Amino acid sequence: MAAFPSLNQEDIDCIDGALRELLKKSEAHVALVVEKAGYLIHQSGQPPDLDTTTFATLGSNAYNAVQFMASLVNETGFTSLYQQGEKFSTLMVNVDENTLVVIIFPTHLTVGAMKYYAAPAARAIAAQITLATARGDKLDLSDLNPPDVQALFDRSN
Amino acid sequence: MAIINQAAKELQVKIVYYGPAKSGKTTNLEQLHQNVQVPNPDSKGKMTSLATSSDRTLFFDFFPLEAVAIKGYKTKFALFTVPGQVIYNATRQIVLRGVDGIVFVADSQYDKMEENIETFKHLQANLKALNLNLDEIPYVIQYNKRDLPDVAPRDYLEFLMNNREVQVPSFEASAAKCEGIFETLNMITRMLLHKFLNNGARG
Repeated sequence: MAAFPSLNQEDIDCIDGALRELLKKSEAHVALVVEKAGYLIHQSGQPPDLDTTTFATLGSNAYNAVQFMASLVNETGFTSLYQQGEKFSTLMVNVDENTLVVIIFPTHLTVGAMKYYAAPAARAIAAQITLATARGDKLDLSDLNPPDVQALFDRSN
Repeated sequence: MAIINQAAKELQVKIVYYGPAKSGKTTNLEQLHQNVQVPNPDSKGKMTSLATSSDRTLFFDFFPLEAVAIKGYKTKFALFTVPGQVIYNATRQIVLRGVDGIVFVADSQYDKMEENIETFKHLQANLKALNLNLDEIPYVIQYNKRDLPDVAPRDYLEFLMNNREVQVPSFEASAAKCEGIFETLNMITRMLLHKFLNNGARG
């Protein structure tokens, strides 16, 4: 499995643009780019009272569980996962080996429309991630002072 | 694997608490969540538990915690547990995806030794299925439940659980009393950050 690349401002701007375009055309409320290990990479839309970090983690693990189910029936993978609610629904769409787009939208919008608008967004994001991977940036750790990480977390009281 | 976002100046790291059923993995996270000192409330996320009606972990527990470990970079530690029950092996494999560091929570009671050893073997097998190798992943061992009667001596636990070519740091703990859990977390975070420092963080 290839590692998820380091992203710079140009990458984030491109991903943000793709998500904004998706939200504008689809009228969905929120779109998240999620790494499949559970990390929230970027979000667009401002959901009130939604813990997007937890939503991303739950979404990626649910998606991974469904891929495991696919393998049990000799499918190479299920490329999307849709959950319908009374007020909101969610669609998770595969981007590449490591990445997902998670969309939250009101139920009066159709999942077909979401898939239609999510497809170009996923392609644009995948292309940018490919560029970032090829660039192969590394994090400059010259400022890291090892004694500073001896005890990061303390007990209160 | 860790995620680096240079634009947001963020490093995201995944730590999985792994161990046999009822060894105290969820208790570790609950106690950390309740007792960790944070500079501001936003540094500590909510703890999410996907549990059965009898409070046994069904999928995982998740607790995001932030620190400034590298100058100028916010480091987000995503702490997970796996379900310990044997039937949930597929779930454990899913949660291990992209793991950066592991805390193996062993149960110190004498009658749990076989389960500890079996679970450790399953951990190695699950990592292998994900094309990962325990030799390349920082991990620590926590001997939990030291407050209970009939626990094995530490030397015996070390002989059973920490006898690979390279011995790893190990800690005695009573997670229910919040003892030993911060030492465990601090060591695994330290090992992870030193790994990044030594290897140069991948881009």
